[in-house]
Amino acid sequence: MTSVASPSSVLNIDNLALHFLGQDSVVEALKGISLHIDKGEVVGVVGESGSGKSVTALNILRLLPRTKTKIPHGAVSVLGRDVLTMGEKDLQHVRGGEVSMIFQEPMTALNPVLRVREQMFDVIMRHQKITEEEAERLSLNLLADMKIQDTERVFNAYPHELSGGMRQRVMIAMAFSCNPKLIVADEPTTALDVTVQAQILNLLKERARATKTSVMLITHDLAVVAQLCDRVYVMYKGKIVEQGLTRDVIGKPQHAYTRALLNALPEGKKPKSRLETVAASMIDGADSAAAPVVVRTTIQAGFKLYGQGQPLFEAVNATVSYPKKYNLLGRAISFQTAVDHVNLSITEGQTLAIVGESGCGKTSFANSIVGLVPLAEGELRYKGKNLKDHDDLTRREVQIVFQDPQSSLDPRWPTWRIMTEPLTVGKSPSRNELRETAAGLCEMVGLDPSAIDRLPHEFSGGQRQRIAIGRALSVHPRLLILDEPTSALDVSVQAQILNLLLDLQEKFQLSYLFISHNVAVVRHISDYVAVMYMGKVVETGAADQVLSRPEHAYTRTLMDAVPTLERAFAA
Amino acid sequence: MSSGTASASSVANTKTTAQDILTGLIPLFLQLRKLAWLIFAVTTLLFFVLRQAGDPALVLAGNDATPEQLAAIRAQFGLDRPLLIQYFSYMWNVLQFDFGKSLASAEPALGKVLDMVPRTLHLAGMAILLTASIAIPLGSWLGFKPENPERRMVSGFLFVMQGVPGFVTALVLIQIFAVNLRLLPSLGYEWYEPKTWVLPVCSLASFLFPSLTRVVAANVAEAMREDYIRTARANGASQMALLWKHAVPNALLGAAALIGTQFAALLGGSAIIETIFSWPGMGWLLLESVQTLDFPVVQALAFMIAILVFSVNASTDLVFRFLDPRLRTKGA
Repeated sequence: MTSVASPSSVLNIDNLALHFLGQDSVVEALKGISLHIDKGEVVGVVGESGSGKSVTALNILRLLPRTKTKIPHGAVSVLGRDVLTMGEKDLQHVRGGEVSMIFQEPMTALNPVLRVREQMFDVIMRHQKITEEEAERLSLNLLADMKIQDTERVFNAYPHELSGGMRQRVMIAMAFSCNPKLIVADEPTTALDVTVQAQILNLLKERARATKTSVMLITHDLAVVAQLCDRVYVMYKGKIVEQGLTRDVIGKPQHAYTRALLNALPEGKKPKSRLETVAASMIDGADSAAAPVVVRTTIQAGFKLYGQGQPLFEAVNATVSYPKKYNLLGRAISFQTAVDHVNLSITEGQTLAIVGESGCGKTSFANSIVGLVPLAEGELRYKGKNLKDHDDLTRREVQIVFQDPQSSLDPRWPTWRIMTEPLTVGKSPSRNELRETAAGLCEMVGLDPSAIDRLPHEFSGGQRQRIAIGRALSVHPRLLILDEPTSALDVSVQAQILNLLLDLQEKFQLSYLFISHNVAVVRHISDYVAVMYMGKVVETGAADQVLSRPEHAYTRTLMDAVPTLERAFAA
Repeated sequence: MSSGTASASSVANTKTTAQDILTGLIPLFLQLRKLAWLIFAVTTLLFFVLRQAGDPALVLAGNDATPEQLAAIRAQFGLDRPLLIQYFSYMWNVLQFDFGKSLASAEPALGKVLDMVPRTLHLAGMAILLTASIAIPLGSWLGFKPENPERRMVSGFLFVMQGVPGFVTALVLIQIFAVNLRLLPSLGYEWYEPKTWVLPVCSLASFLFPSLTRVVAANVAEAMREDYIRTARANGASQMALLWKHAVPNALLGAAALIGTQFAALLGGSAIIETIFSWPGMGWLLLESVQTLDFPVVQALAFMIAILVFSVNASTDLVFRFLDPRLRTKGA
């Protein structure tokens, strides 16, 4: 239990265990982990949700509530000093001064009612004895180092006036402001677009190198680790299961979990092949209740194919705009165009993916198809007829699955009610009928049919997404709109959902409109790809062609920004 | 570099000044439109509801009036005309701020009400001030560490206090300070005599501050769980800085809404307290004129309260804008 910090170690964690104390239960979040980070090193800590990687990070600065945690054994030392026995005053000196953190959500990590100026001063003036003018000069220089052009404006802005990427630059500038020896970055780019992610990661790397600051990068993204880190620790269920040089760990993984994690990535796999999933027993409570996918054809029997050759769905000059300014009478006088004359078509049984970054209009387009936002112009045709002119039964053949299974399911409804709600529109089937249907749908999407009485919070994220897919399937859809269905999920769970979608498509000849920012996922699942940028479709074509030989400048930028294992090792 | 961009934008600004002023007035215009609708609805509704409540001529003439006297009074006040005609002539008068004369004192009804407005504003303003100055510090202290045993006890006490009506506190306070200790008067109001304010203001505040404290405490506790608090802690902020610099300003955003609602409620709703302490305000007048079926005064009061409550709500919006930078929309 003695922590022998080597002289060059900035951070030394020795056999650390940490328990969360519940009402009458104890969760062992860390089960004796040891790691160290030397001066100037960039070290990755990889794992899926629940692996203990964030807990490790927060505990370095003792940011976990002390009344709810217990540390049975182990030591954490920063620059040779034990932080576990340190008093609050000394800790405040370490926090932000010797070790600083960058958090995941730039939307919520900055105080909404304070200007950037005040928040930067807050850190700088606490740890350095300098005047306000010097602090201002220092702040502006730091912002300029972050390649911010209009430093004055950003400096005087409130967080909500800045984009996500800009906020994260501010966070990084703040993190470097007091010359820390170690920066702990907890998923610093997970909430950002890929092109922004690439810029932010480069900035972080450059600044760390220039100032010889050590970085602990916590992420679930193996490609990011491959690109940035010298060494990597793989965490799984509160333990470090593998460690070593990045190239060795990712190139020649030794531990079964590391191998499974790499295999679950769609990257580099044959398109539409079923991905290997991390064995259910290996995932901590994640998706272990999922039954094998048994598709009961009886429930969807008798679907009719619309016919080959013609597109099942077409968008003709589809335009969506939102009111921007109002006149005296409260009528909108100017509009912001979110979707700008989009023309697309989907053939039966095939997948069209829309790729683009946040704000490009892909979600507005999806919402317009299911009628959540009106079209300002253009037409949506389903089976050759305007979607609006179809009867209700036919319109129901177009269904949607939303991104976030945490918030898109009613938390007080049991699963069977959620899954069968579409069937009760305009009809009132008996409770037993609905429960039976729900059980069938559960089997179809790989959930245990006995789970139909459970509430959404009793399921994992992946299982909730299965429920959402089941709900969409309840009305025998022919076209499923999938709006970022896997981006809130862990890699191994993502693989399971992608497999499920591919299975369902094969069984029922479903058509998918798959909306995503994840190029690797899109490459894996889609037949055709449309790239959207600022409301317009800038490039369409067969998936392989668009993604491998992009022609439009924006598509090329997008493809270059995507971190891939292949490219990381080529460099 | 920055001066160049500044001058460029100021040129752009001078070009659009007239339009800027117009667009700046839009919120005001929309508010006034809402107010007009509100007043129209309130006066109309009250006109018809009050006519169902009793015959004003009976009130005027007294119990032992002969049918001839009643008819004469009806003719004098135009009460013999068809109801719709009465309504239109009434609305026409309201447009000119004429609510008729008080049936009790023959003074103009609106004038009688206007005399009361400053007194009620005085009482409500003091009560809200006292409420906020107790609730904000106390709530912040409670919300900072809600699990703490002594803070839990205070929360429990507040929970009970929340259920004690203001008039109960008023009677207890009168018994202690006016009857037993003879320190403070229990009746009357003089604007230059603070002694006469203490008990009514305390009685009102005693009812209001528990709920506001609880809201502030809940909001502070919630703010303390936010990501930006974690960021500030990770940057080495002290406990005091976390609470006062980071958590409380965010928590007050939610509390401001309740302060506005409470103030608005006081303007029309402090009738019982005003009556107990013989505080000659709008609430007292309302109670009295309802008892005597003094329709013109009741109507004028409703009109006045509608305007006041509306103004308070509109100013709450403004305060929100001041507190929350996210609501200070710039241009688009």
